Amino acid sequence: MTNHDAISLLVVCQLAAPAATLALVGLPTLLGRPPSEKITARIVGGGFATGFVAGLITLAALAVRGFRPEIVHLGSWFSVGHHEATVDLVADALSVPYVCFSTGLCALVNAFAGKYLHREPGFTRFFLLLAVFGTGMNLMVLAGSIDVLFAGWELLGISSTMLIGFFLERGNAVRAALRAFATYRVCDVGLLTAAVVVHRAVGSGDFERLFGENWPNGTCLVPATTATIVSLLLVFAAMGKSAQVPFSGWLPQAMEGPTPSSAIFYGALSIHAGAYVLLRCESLLEQAPAARWLLIVIGLGTALHANVVGRVQTDLKSLLAYASMTQAGLIFAEIGCGWRVIPLVHVVSHAILRSLQILRSPSALHDRHELEAALGGHPGADRWALGRLLPERLQERLYRIALDRGYEEMVVGRLFVVPFLALLRWAADLERRWLAVLAGEPHDGGGRP
Amino acid sequence: MTPADMPALLSAAAVVVAAPLAGAVAVALGFRRGNPRGLAVAATTAALLASLTITFLWSRSDGTGVAFGERLGGGSFVCIDGITAVLLPYVALVELVILLVAPRRSLEPGAVARILFGAAATCGLFLTSHPLVLVALWCATVLPTWISVRSTPGGAGAARVFAIAMAAATACMAVGTVLLVLDPPWSGASGLAGDAGGWLVAVAVMIRKGIVPFHSWYPKLFSGATMSTSLAATMPQVASYTAVRLLIGHADHPEGVATELVVLAQMALVTATYGAALAIVQRSLRSLIGTLAMSQSAMVLAGLAGTLPMELNGAFCVWLSSGLALTGIGLVAWALESRAGEIRLETLQGRFWDAPALAAFFLLFGLSGIGLPGTLSFVADDLIVSGSLDEQLHAGLLVIVSTVLCGVAMMRGWFHVFGGPVDPDGPRHSILVRERVALTMLLAPLFVLGLWPGPLVRALDRATSRLLAVPAASAAAAGHPAEVGGLQESPQGR
Repeated sequence: MTNHDAISLLVVCQLAAPAATLALVGLPTLLGRPPSEKITARIVGGGFATGFVAGLITLAALAVRGFRPEIVHLGSWFSVGHHEATVDLVADALSVPYVCFSTGLCALVNAFAGKYLHREPGFTRFFLLLAVFGTGMNLMVLAGSIDVLFAGWELLGISSTMLIGFFLERGNAVRAALRAFATYRVCDVGLLTAAVVVHRAVGSGDFERLFGENWPNGTCLVPATTATIVSLLLVFAAMGKSAQVPFSGWLPQAMEGPTPSSAIFYGALSIHAGAYVLLRCESLLEQAPAARWLLIVIGLGTALHANVVGRVQTDLKSLLAYASMTQAGLIFAEIGCGWRVIPLVHVVSHAILRSLQILRSPSALHDRHELEAALGGHPGADRWALGRLLPERLQERLYRIALDRGYEEMVVGRLFVVPFLALLRWAADLERRWLAVLAGEPHDGGGRP
Repeated sequence: MTPADMPALLSAAAVVVAAPLAGAVAVALGFRRGNPRGLAVAATTAALLASLTITFLWSRSDGTGVAFGERLGGGSFVCIDGITAVLLPYVALVELVILLVAPRRSLEPGAVARILFGAAATCGLFLTSHPLVLVALWCATVLPTWISVRSTPGGAGAARVFAIAMAAATACMAVGTVLLVLDPPWSGASGLAGDAGGWLVAVAVMIRKGIVPFHSWYPKLFSGATMSTSLAATMPQVASYTAVRLLIGHADHPEGVATELVVLAQMALVTATYGAALAIVQRSLRSLIGTLAMSQSAMVLAGLAGTLPMELNGAFCVWLSSGLALTGIGLVAWALESRAGEIRLETLQGRFWDAPALAAFFLLFGLSGIGLPGTLSFVADDLIVSGSLDEQLHAGLLVIVSTVLCGVAMMRGWFHVFGGPVDPDGPRHSILVRERVALTMLLAPLFVLGLWPGPLVRALDRATSRLLAVPAASAAAAGHPAEVGGLQESPQGR
């Protein structure tokens, strides 16, 4: 077996292991014979552990050869005329460490959730969705073409939506899930259109035809105009998944999901999916100053917004959501500045810290009591908070803005969502009136459609 | 395909039509009056197996279309090509699962006979390209639907709307086809009457497919008729097939597609987007399915007008994926309704813990209809979006907007049906074995063809390239002749 074959096998293993657990748990469940809690957690955890070990071995193999990238061609998924969707994976200095990090984190959260959700109705559903997430994440990270990346991206969005709405009996959870899904869906337009533009520009979705294969020192192989268009579309797509202003309103609501999923999605991996895609396409961004400036403006704007709004939150998970948003904004700005390693280190360190904080959040009171007992009293207020240096009137103004969540939801709702829905309801009511005339029936009163 | 395969091919084609027809006659004559499901399922299973035989035999050929019997106006009495080979098993499968899932009280002998007769007529329609036979079978598929809707309690309004729409469509279709046959524009004659005929056929297709402004009957049928009637009438997409046979691939169309179809496609794009947007604010599950079906059906027509094989290929993939997914959702909705009545969407219904298995199937079908990676709809969306954007920017953007809105509407439907406070004293229903089997049969092709789309896409590539008279890349690569050969030339290949 050659070095290439061995790495190819390991890369496939990283992807196939979580996907196989999906089939192992999903098929019996669909046929009415779900495995027990213990077996479910072990199967899914085993998949992540296998992916993690395969990732570590691949990392070692890559390190030995100086991180020379390896492209794994799994063949053509389908092709029509000049349009070919290839299944290409890439093992390089970005993807393999990131897979180790994400599968390792998934395995840890899997172990935590096995205990945390014990006897919870929907235990199997949670683990199935976690397996979907793990598969999607690995697919996105290892993607060597924009088609594969889009497939992983979509799996991430769907699993995230279903886990936000995990507690189906709660109305708020259902509304939060729908809101997140709508935001994802709107922003996915960016990635979908980018994929089409890439296909038109280079004849396939392969990254190696777009910017070579040498991350982080790739060379943009398309004209600057194409690079700018694709970069702007990618930034738009990333804004949704990474909760950047003005698409950030869904994130605090997304904390309605179970704590383990909140930790891995909105503290660690899903929130940084946008940043990962931008890092993967850094060569394109280099040729697109407009997109980089946009990233800096959006990132810093989001960080400022989330920092101010986060200060007035009264529940811990919302506070942590805004803290995640702040860091995601800063990471966007760092990518916009053209840095590569700093945002990557920032992503990993932030993800580890935040997921730990979210996992510990149900025990926050207990932790606080322990801290107070150790200190022998209250820790005291932060006397050096920068906000206190501001004029009092400005502090009051900022406080009001923060209470209204920066007016973001109000603006988006009043300018776009409410008029759009009102228009649709009006059209639906007209339809019903017209149908009543056609059918010779009395109209039912013209209430809300 | 070797000449030795021809008798088998013809026999299979005969079984596809004869089995459900014989079943309909038997049920109408009173056989198995107490429980006609078994007989009906046997008849449609035979049709499904025969259609799969046709697909298998065709797949062994070089992609050549085969035609038998009388020829008229560019069509043949029996026409079997790539389109037939791909679509016929789909139609037979939809009919079979409808019969498997139907609640017992919906299967009185008259209803079963009508379903089987409709199945035979629809399968027959998918086996012909003869213009007059198309018109006759077009009428034959309308009649049982109308009788069923009329006999549904509370369905008088829907029957009236359906009758108005179908009378207009059938009249346009009949007159248009006769004009096309008398003065075929593709024969080099004056073609003036033929042109008028083409436009009449286009209007007929518009009405039958529920294209704006003739779309109202679509959601009304879903809210006023039984689910079996609605699904059997809309999912096979008889009008799309007619458009393929009469408006694509004739010599006078410089790019292979008639002008009428290009205009139709623009209207279809508007319908696809409008239907998807309307679906977001529907108040009942049935009307949600109706508007989504309208949107997806329009999307198919929009793709069919493409001059690139990729777009046409995407249209056929959307045809299959949306048809299977919406049939699945319709059947799950029917199963839920048969247990606890009508399902509204204004408030959260909290039905998850009532029927978790049905919720899982609904979700899987829903995701399979909105482009979940690993399902056929992901491939379909990829092809149709790329094809549309390649051809016209506005078309591509409308397709993208439509898919976004469809996704939001679908997920809203799922969350509103299954989310919400649970009634602790409410009923608990487990899924029946026949329901599980039928829904799994419907789900399997969506995932299998999604994970392994190569053979389907290649088959469609060959078929659509021949339709557009463009040599298929695959055929050229394989060294197959681009011209149509076989027992008898297919008119589309000329």
